[in-house]
Amino acid sequence: MPAPPHATFWIALLVGLASGSVGPFILLRRMALVGDALSHVALPGIALALIYHVDPFYGVIAFLVAAAFVIFWLEGRSRVPPDAIVGLLFTASLAVGILMLPSGDVIESLFGAFPTLSVPLLAGILVVAGVLTALCFLLAKRFLFLIVSPDLARVNGLGRGYDLALLLIFALIVALGIKLVGTLLMGALTIIPASIAKNLAASMRRYVILSAIFGGAISVAGVWLAESFRFLPGPSIVLLGVALFAVSLPFARRRLA
Amino acid sequence: MPDAVLNVEDLSVTLDGVSVLQNVSFSLQKGASFAVIGPNGAGKTMLFRALLDLVAHTGVVEWQPGVKIGYVPQRFTVERSAPISTMEFFLLQSAHFWRPDAAFRRGLDQELRSMGLSPEVLRKGLGELSGGETQRVLIASALLRKPDVLLLDEPTAAVDAGFEETVYALLHRVQKERGTAMLLISHDLTVVYRYADRVLCLNKSVVCQGRPVEALNPDALATLYGETSFYHHEH
Repeated sequence: MPAPPHATFWIALLVGLASGSVGPFILLRRMALVGDALSHVALPGIALALIYHVDPFYGVIAFLVAAAFVIFWLEGRSRVPPDAIVGLLFTASLAVGILMLPSGDVIESLFGAFPTLSVPLLAGILVVAGVLTALCFLLAKRFLFLIVSPDLARVNGLGRGYDLALLLIFALIVALGIKLVGTLLMGALTIIPASIAKNLAASMRRYVILSAIFGGAISVAGVWLAESFRFLPGPSIVLLGVALFAVSLPFARRRLA
Repeated sequence: MPDAVLNVEDLSVTLDGVSVLQNVSFSLQKGASFAVIGPNGAGKTMLFRALLDLVAHTGVVEWQPGVKIGYVPQRFTVERSAPISTMEFFLLQSAHFWRPDAAFRRGLDQELRSMGLSPEVLRKGLGELSGGETQRVLIASALLRKPDVLLLDEPTAAVDAGFEETVYALLHRVQKERGTAMLLISHDLTVVYRYADRVLCLNKSVVCQGRPVEALNPDALATLYGETSFYHHEH
């Protein structure tokens, strides 16, 4: 059964909202680069799925969830600097993925495409994106507590389980958007809306709301640009976001003055 | 001890094979004010982290069942540019982060007053607060939980010299009015003499313990800080 019209716009809207909702927490945890590298892990997942004739979406989910557990494990080991290891591990997986991937699928996997999805898979992506967005708002207080003071949060009964929950939500959102935005750029879609909103918001609640709105708006507008000018959707979304970030910079100076 | 809110026996902490706390034992009575003093690197903060189960340890740390603990750490880890308002920092203690209820707001107003803070501070960014404001916000936030015990890790470390006295006077009033027990790390012996019922001198292990006027004798202070240290004179 073919996907209904405007399917790409719906994916862009809901995945954009979800990306914008999780971004502030990733940014405040200073995990922007780790998050960006995480999306690269999806590539060997796509390659393996194609080799074994499985929908690449499932390969992406399996690899990203595994990567979230690896980051969580590394964070718990204070003697290991996680950023260097994450950088090495994830770049290596990108290289492995490129070598394994059939050449016809490389550009689409790296930079995204207009997805052709069955109706059930499309509905699944939209529902899960909505649930993940809601979770970001419901767990916002707990995520923020662990960012502001991990010790205070633990004294107040918040365990490391919430750190894992944030990483898993993040990994799943990246997985949902990879078909549209691509493995190289999907990490950026979670960081850019949050970076713009951070320049404009004076409180955490406005920060998360604004970031979600920017995530949805940039994604939909980027898809519209790509359709109109026959670009790939991933680069269009990311470049539009970066342009908006540049516009928002003077507001940040005013806010912090 | 029937009235002890905390009993500690033979508490030891070892990090990476290095012993940082050895066989510390003491008890904290209900409503009492208990000071922990010692030179830098003596393991004072580590003692608090062990009491709060934030670090692996051996020995006994026995809190009275159902006791509510408030903790005031030395600092935040949040960056200055983070868009987090002071109100939102307090909301971390609320059941409703997005829509706080009236009861929470009333409790917050009371704690702001008890720490001498004006409601305007709520609109400020967490990173914009002065050292003194930050410390009082941390204490007010801990008090929001109506704790039975308050653990304070050098509550005046970032406060201007003239303001230290105010913070301790405010804390002393809370202790007297609400019966909140205080466990306090301090560098200032004058504060210890004035506000603490008991003192524990720590330099990896316990050097002295007891009422300040008795425990802080010249020998104990010399062992703790070296021969050149001065001590409090009774006038």
